Amino acid sequence: MTAVTDTPDPHAAHPVTGLDDVVHQRVRLGILTIAHEARRVEFGYLRTQLDLTAGNLSKHLSVLETAALIEIEKGYEGRRGRTWITLTPAGTTALAEEIERLKLLIARFEIPDNPENRRRPH
Amino acid sequence: MTTDSVPAGDDPRRLLSDVRTLAHRVRVDQRMTWVALLALATVTLVGIAFDWFGMTVHCHPDGSCQFARRGVLYYWPPALLLAYTVIAVCYVRAARTRGLGARVLPYTITGAATTAVFTAAWVAAALYFPSHPAPMHPLPYWWFVLDRLIAPWGMIGLALLVLARLERNLGLLLFTAGYLALVLLVLPMNSGWGPPHWGIRAQFAMPQLVSGMVLLLGAAGFAAARRRHR
Repeated sequence: MTAVTDTPDPHAAHPVTGLDDVVHQRVRLGILTIAHEARRVEFGYLRTQLDLTAGNLSKHLSVLETAALIEIEKGYEGRRGRTWITLTPAGTTALAEEIERLKLLIARFEIPDNPENRRRPH
Repeated sequence: MTTDSVPAGDDPRRLLSDVRTLAHRVRVDQRMTWVALLALATVTLVGIAFDWFGMTVHCHPDGSCQFARRGVLYYWPPALLLAYTVIAVCYVRAARTRGLGARVLPYTITGAATTAVFTAAWVAAALYFPSHPAPMHPLPYWWFVLDRLIAPWGMIGLALLVLARLERNLGLLLFTAGYLALVLLVLPMNSGWGPPHWGIRAQFAMPQLVSGMVLLLGAAGFAAARRRHR
């Protein structure tokens, strides 16, 4: 993850324009974050931490897998089926870029003389 | 529970805060700090017996004594490697049970590397000193600190610093800083400690006993903190 400057150029392209719809979503961002920290994570852990139903989580995983941001590996431990999720290098990059853009957005809101801030209703 | 994209106007602070909270939760769930400290405490306390019985002491009529800590040299390298292997296996198994991967490998590698450094330094000293007299002039203080650092007890602290960094574990970082200050600056791990009538073996055993107990208390403290957290 690259460093964020404290005073972004207000005339530069708005960080929102670079947001990736696949990643810029609360649950999918959560999946990528957990998979990044955990190296690999099991389906059940994700379901518990993100408070999702199995079907809902599967849909999100499918979106991320289609975008080649994660790899899904199914197997057995004893008789119990287990599904492991691993972040791909593209997923790591996408997560880093998303966090960078979120930080830029926050920094942009916090510039006192930013014209956008003046237009915001109080 | 939703599959909709977050609206553009959604607060990025909240998203970033969620990311940090989830990352922290995963790190906490991956931790097995008490196991690492317990394994190292066990190795340290068992090592006292090896140092005691493996030490060769030759006292001269003038009251001066020569000693060689062969027990330390023969016991610690395999014991530390075994301890780091046990720690790694426990971390991986516990993380796997919880549905996570483990991030203990760099710690294990550091542990093995510090063991190699300590062994090489002690073998070099064992080869050098029998044929070369010890310096008669007083050695600078930093030399003593360095000598304590390359001893097994100092190397344990160095590796724990790596574990604290990997786990982003502030509690372990503070504990390790205190432990390192103790074994490097307070306890005379390399010269013994206690009244003269105790004898050289007991004097060397004392600092090891203290460092082992500190690690054991640390293990108990982190285990209790983990139980409370859960």
